[in-house]
Amino acid sequence: MTETKHLLNRLPNDIGGLPADAIQRVDHELEPWEKRCHALADVLDFHKIINTEEKRRGVEALGAEMVGKLTYYERWIAAFSNILFQKGILTPSELARKMDEVAARWERDDSERTP
Amino acid sequence: MSQHDHDPAHEHDQPHAEIGHAEKPGYYDLMETAVRELLVEKRLFGADEIRRQIEVLDSRTPALGAKVIARAWVDPEFRARLLANGRAACEELGISFYDDTQLIVLENTDTVHNLIVCTLCSCYPRPVLGLPPDWYKLKAYRSRAVSEPRAVLAEFGTNIPNDVEVRVSDSTAIVRYLVLPRRPVETDNYSEEQLAALVTRDAMIGVIPVTVEAGR
Repeated sequence: MTETKHLLNRLPNDIGGLPADAIQRVDHELEPWEKRCHALADVLDFHKIINTEEKRRGVEALGAEMVGKLTYYERWIAAFSNILFQKGILTPSELARKMDEVAARWERDDSERTP
Repeated sequence: MSQHDHDPAHEHDQPHAEIGHAEKPGYYDLMETAVRELLVEKRLFGADEIRRQIEVLDSRTPALGAKVIARAWVDPEFRARLLANGRAACEELGISFYDDTQLIVLENTDTVHNLIVCTLCSCYPRPVLGLPPDWYKLKAYRSRAVSEPRAVLAEFGTNIPNDVEVRVSDSTAIVRYLVLPRRPVETDNYSEEQLAALVTRDAMIGVIPVTVEAGR
């Protein structure tokens, strides 16, 4: 039988004390969308729509694979979307339509920029 | 409604974002814009609030924390208030806390060296230091800082003598930490501003000491 006990003992965020590689002192300037995502997180917290702890649990709920493969702010926006669905504030189809609209707007603006 | 009304990142509002928009926005970039615009349309907050918060985030840098540390070095009464209630003492210096977090300031001495981490995520004293560096948010630091802090410190070039206790404080969503480093010995004739110039972000995380070389 496959050993699965470790999956229950440690959720994806719970890594304190685990063995890990040497520290790489990496850093990067936030991309514009990452900074907006951070500001969005703060504003969601100010308005008591999603607080910091809900956000952390929302990231955890993405599961180990997404936590491992998505970047920091990708995890945040994915978690916000899921939490907003759970709270009934947004629906998945509403978000999908809006993303298509934003993409189409960008295409149109881009063709205006480079005629 | 005009489609541009509620997009604070649109190029008409942010000419400097032009380069970022030359490339087609990625999936998560689109998702962020879509979520934000939907919430604004539902009147859960105003588009201007995001813009203002970006300005707040941009205004927070380790220079604020350095100002706090330098004041604590030159003013023993302020230092006592800072150690008693970090948030209130920072607010005294005009540093507002835009969130609900408390701040505990940890003093390094000749017998104790403090290190801060957030093992679960990336909690950090943002109002006084700005956003954390990537390495603070990555697995290697979060995993190892609590179990082998001396080895972690050595990787930052910081060797703590064995008779000095290393204390690691693990941050939470509402309780954040800031290290009050030791004042370098050769700085008796330094002004408060000169002292502040020596204090780095990494020293306030606790991974390196403050040295006079850092200010050069």
